[in-house]
Amino acid sequence: MDLHTEPLVLNMGPSHPATHGTVRFLLKMDGEKVLHCETEIGYLHRGFEKQCEAGTWTQVFPYTDRLNYNSAIQNNVAYALAVEKLLGITGQIPERSTAIRTIMCELSRMADHYTNLGASMLELGALTAFLYFVEARELTWDIIESVCGARLTSNYVRVGGLSTDLPEGFAAHVKEVFPVNRVFWSEFDKLLTKNRIFLDRMRDTGGISEENAIAYGFTGPCLRACGVEYDVRKANPYLLYDQVDFDIPVGFTGDNFDRYLVRMEEINQSMRIIEQLIDKMPGGPVNIDNPAVRNPSKEAVKGRMESMIFHFKNTIEGIQVPAGEAYVPTEGSNGEVGFYLVSSGGGKPLKCRVRPPCFALTQAMGEMVQGAFLSDIIPTFDMINLIGGECDR
Amino acid sequence: MAGNYKKVNRTLKMTLWERVYVFEIIRGVLLTASHFFPNLWGAARSYLSGDPSIRKIKTIYYPEEVPPIPEAYRGRPVLVRGADGKEKCVACGLCEVACPPKCISIVGAMREDGTRYPETYTLNGAVCIFCGLCEEACPEEAIVMSYDYQNLCEYDRSLMVYDKEALLIPEEKLSKRLEYIRRRMYNKCNY
Repeated sequence: MDLHTEPLVLNMGPSHPATHGTVRFLLKMDGEKVLHCETEIGYLHRGFEKQCEAGTWTQVFPYTDRLNYNSAIQNNVAYALAVEKLLGITGQIPERSTAIRTIMCELSRMADHYTNLGASMLELGALTAFLYFVEARELTWDIIESVCGARLTSNYVRVGGLSTDLPEGFAAHVKEVFPVNRVFWSEFDKLLTKNRIFLDRMRDTGGISEENAIAYGFTGPCLRACGVEYDVRKANPYLLYDQVDFDIPVGFTGDNFDRYLVRMEEINQSMRIIEQLIDKMPGGPVNIDNPAVRNPSKEAVKGRMESMIFHFKNTIEGIQVPAGEAYVPTEGSNGEVGFYLVSSGGGKPLKCRVRPPCFALTQAMGEMVQGAFLSDIIPTFDMINLIGGECDR
Repeated sequence: MAGNYKKVNRTLKMTLWERVYVFEIIRGVLLTASHFFPNLWGAARSYLSGDPSIRKIKTIYYPEEVPPIPEAYRGRPVLVRGADGKEKCVACGLCEVACPPKCISIVGAMREDGTRYPETYTLNGAVCIFCGLCEEACPEEAIVMSYDYQNLCEYDRSLMVYDKEALLIPEEKLSKRLEYIRRRMYNKCNY
């Protein structure tokens, strides 16, 4: 006898314990199989892009922290580079400032990958692995906190420089933490990479072909997992990435296991970059010597009339950025992060558009889980690493 | 530009030992145990001797123990009360315009000797995002980010609005932060 069956419509989210970030999947299920998956975003929309238009160029920095909060400094740097391009001062940024920015970008990348991999394993049931990586992340965030004063909301970079110099003993702190992090990395690797249950959940699930990935606008680890050799740090070097020696891991098939392996290897490569830079850290100032761009030092403000005028004008009216448009692509930990800025001349941005990496990844969710099982949604969604703050802005 | 694109090692060769899985479970349990027992032993020893430094586990028993705060830490913004008992603030209003969420409001006034001071200075702690831009904007080092992060929460948002008296902290209590920002942040050698 033939039973009468019809597809079941299932709502997953917006607040689901297994999906970090508020996102809703509208699923059409045939038993355990996903016939159709519709992704709904927008539950964390805060109007970031509109908010940017209300403040001065400097006042945007605290808000960029809240985009991808796991790697806040990368957003700071991406925004600062775009404003510096508009101002035409890209080549005048002091060497020390550029080196610190590179180091902090890589520390953020490490913290982001630790969080992403750890949280993903938590959702697959591996709580122990999560705890090891969260401890590694905490140690990384301790370094970031000692530099900029906050773990998540760093607000570290400024147009033409940095908010503060590195603390004393920074190199020693990093060299003390990295061996511990390497132990955690190898323990995480030991627990998972050859684990049969893990392999069954990750291998050959959530895959996407190379052509489709490019067509959807994939960037970052998810694109490289498909076998595409594209990394902004190599293809379009910014900061000091053309002067350091590092490898870019590339996958084969673009499934979840490749994404996992690419992220794991990127942690090691980030450590390699930091260790190279920390040994040849240039001295000197961290801020550009241009009072019209970066506020003068407090001593100068107290002592000299011109400096005080610049300080007041920069703060009240904002940095005067000439009219034009600029976009600087940077490699965020999740893909290409960029700020497309339009200035009409003056102290405020006319338009600030963010290119969030996970937006492009999320729109391919439906295709990646089509025909897969319900349980495959969890690792797929984890590995594309949707950050609500960035995706919905 | 050395270094290049490298393929990840996807084809894992699993030995028979690894495919049987039972032995792998034992290996995993041993790894977990290598964390669990030292942590337990360290915690027990620390509990008996009362010395938290010998504890292996990183967790801090928060209200009794507090984590070390780095010098760069940005806590609650406070006003500096000078050695003469008067506020250093001259009510120029720079922090008011520099604040991204607009949580500061000042009404300035003039003293009899002609110096300016804030008649009212209100900082809405519920709106503040602890970004430190007010500190950066202040030309008088009158508002600084303190290391104060405890007991800032209230059940009522109106209790989180700090007036001038709640914000004023004597200069000597903030000497560490003031010294830090003079040395590392707004120092001449950084420019």
